[in-house]
Amino acid sequence: MNTMIASKELPDVIWGDRGADVERLRAAGMLVPLDDYLDKYPNLKKWAGDSTLNMLRSSDGKLYQIPNWYTSQPAGNAGYLLNKKIYEELGKPKLETTDDFYNYLKSVKAKYPNIIPFDPDLAKDGQGLDVLYGAFGENHPQSYLSERAVPNGDKLTSIFLDPVFRESTQFASKLFREKLMAQDAFTQTTDQLKEKANNGRFAVAAGSSPTEYGSKGDAELKKKDPTAGYEMIWPIHKEGLDKNKIYAGVYNQLGWNVSVITKSAKDPEKIFAFMDWLTGPEGSRAIMWGPEGVLWKGLDEEGYPKFTSTYSDDHERTSKMMDPMVNLQFDGNTAYIDKAKMKFESQLPAEKQNWETRYQSSITWKTVYNATEFVNLRPAPESEEGIIAQNVETIYLEARAKAVYAKSDEEVLSILDKADQDAKAVGYDKLLEYKTKKWQENLVKIGSK
Amino acid sequence: MTQLATNKTIKHVKKKRGVFQRLIKQWDIQLMVIPALLLIFVFSYVPMYGLLIAFQDYNIFTGFLDSPWVGFKHFSMFFHSPEFWTVINNTIIISLLKFCIGFPAPIILALMLNEVKNLFFKRIIQTVSYLPHFLSWVIVAGFAMSILSTDNGSLNILLQKLHLITEPIGFLGKAEYFWSIIVTSTVWKEIGFGSIVYLAAIAGVDPSLYEAAEMDGAGRIKKIFLITIPSILPVISIFMILAIGNLLSAGFEDILLLGTNPVLTQVSSVIDTYVYRVGINNQRFSYAAAVGLFKAVISVGLLTFANMFARRSGNSLW
Repeated sequence: MNTMIASKELPDVIWGDRGADVERLRAAGMLVPLDDYLDKYPNLKKWAGDSTLNMLRSSDGKLYQIPNWYTSQPAGNAGYLLNKKIYEELGKPKLETTDDFYNYLKSVKAKYPNIIPFDPDLAKDGQGLDVLYGAFGENHPQSYLSERAVPNGDKLTSIFLDPVFRESTQFASKLFREKLMAQDAFTQTTDQLKEKANNGRFAVAAGSSPTEYGSKGDAELKKKDPTAGYEMIWPIHKEGLDKNKIYAGVYNQLGWNVSVITKSAKDPEKIFAFMDWLTGPEGSRAIMWGPEGVLWKGLDEEGYPKFTSTYSDDHERTSKMMDPMVNLQFDGNTAYIDKAKMKFESQLPAEKQNWETRYQSSITWKTVYNATEFVNLRPAPESEEGIIAQNVETIYLEARAKAVYAKSDEEVLSILDKADQDAKAVGYDKLLEYKTKKWQENLVKIGSK
Repeated sequence: MTQLATNKTIKHVKKKRGVFQRLIKQWDIQLMVIPALLLIFVFSYVPMYGLLIAFQDYNIFTGFLDSPWVGFKHFSMFFHSPEFWTVINNTIIISLLKFCIGFPAPIILALMLNEVKNLFFKRIIQTVSYLPHFLSWVIVAGFAMSILSTDNGSLNILLQKLHLITEPIGFLGKAEYFWSIIVTSTVWKEIGFGSIVYLAAIAGVDPSLYEAAEMDGAGRIKKIFLITIPSILPVISIFMILAIGNLLSAGFEDILLLGTNPVLTQVSSVIDTYVYRVGINNQRFSYAAAVGLFKAVISVGLLTFANMFARRSGNSLW
């Protein structure tokens, strides 16, 4: 990619991440603005909506990016995975508050010495630790962690001094100290995690997408014992908080990544016209489920496809048709596709329902926070704020891991205090000021201010 | 005085002409060196102009020619960065450890293998010990991580079965273990391959020397110290010079892959991983180039220094 930019030989369309790269290409005048086409073609404007498109606009007020998997409704997989068999054998105790959770893990450890009570996924990336963070504060999305900044009034302030972060880190440290949390949490790899999931070697796991190994593990465990498997539970919360204001993950309306059309394209309008068709109902159906007649036939009154029995019963044929297309979904329309899937699933009997879809509709989509206002807060890496951000990043990652390894709750706090001072010494305040400004701009763009 | 000086220059010129004439005489053989020189020139020297971006605020869009010159800005940024001393300390400590343990290890292995009289056994050991060299670090790190893991890790299971420990130890989460893990895994991976050169050198030792020593009543140990080691000393010293030149390369893939735990940052951050993390990952190319150039300059200095010492013993590189 860098070589392509340096040699100025760009492809017609680039499909990649939002953020610094797009901004650099735009600043260098290499991208085609899309505003003129937006009104000419119907789909993108209709399905993405103004607030999403406004957020994608660059600083010159023009739109250059076509979003992928943008959404107008909550979506996400974050949450807690519960080993059903162990839970039932322990008499299904109440698992709602953090105290319940702690006691449950203790009883698991007492009764099953070879089972890991709590596995926080790849903790060096946050994952389960981030999910636990949500348990200690109402309306405390994980974006505060990923931005290393917490709103206080209309300012963003230090994450290290955030009471919710401090309390949740103390809790995590307690779990780790008492060996209730996987001792390999910070070093384990995805493969090790999958192995544990497939063999039912943890009692509870949490992460930003535990459904991936959860659904696979559920199927594996059921092969050996039909009563075993995994369930997802409603996110736990600290005693006294409202469980409906607890969030396990975040989503944003902008979706995953974006496509941009470069000035190397001979006829950018045609490219846009194609992308617009692809994101509309007709294109979405074709790219997701193939041509009419095999997996679906006809549309219902709301315009969603009616699925055939091949789709519900012949899984091999279905994945053979759907899998090769996954990487060709350049501007996926989450709202349309998820709605169609949900409609279909809801008509199936419970045992035939897809494991993932069942918990998405009953739990995870209800416990994700719309964090669109926190996107694009990161400064360009070579700017002064960018260099500060990299130093703060190192401090944060190290402090968090050290705090979890701490020998007492007091040590956790002193590690976080020290991290705050270290961060301030490398210019954290200046970075927070920058992020505050960007955040306020976002609020204006979304229209909530 | 002047007389002496002119004498010297005359000698010098004479000598130079001598070399040149010799080259002309063997022109057909020298011709064969040209492709190699060309290769080095094109792929090692020509790309070096890119080092100049260390003195620029390089921007990939405007390109090399239009990026502004900023002098030593990126160097001073590195020297003043909060991680500078941690990075330098770790680099020096890890590479010294690797040098002190990793350098003699293959020599000792070669000496030991040389004493093995059963040819079949010797071959097997040789093959088995140099195989790990061909595995990539991703795989070796994977082995190391599963052996050392707290949950079902073989080492912890072994220690527990031997009743040496009661609770599993989190080897990869403790700063005090990290350096030994890195050094051990590097030695394990490279010891066999490194010993090939020394084995070849040992094979070249004149057998009559051993026979003579035997006649004089020298035992095995004496033969090793009085004949084998002195005979391969030139090879050892050349490899030592090269190793000293590499002192600032504490390793990259091994540390990057095994030092993933953020708790280890204070002991695992070395120059190469720092360049990767801060420079390449954030696309701060000028900064990365500056740090890399800093390392290269020090390495060349170390190499020259080591060579100077070696010249006294007559076994230098140049």
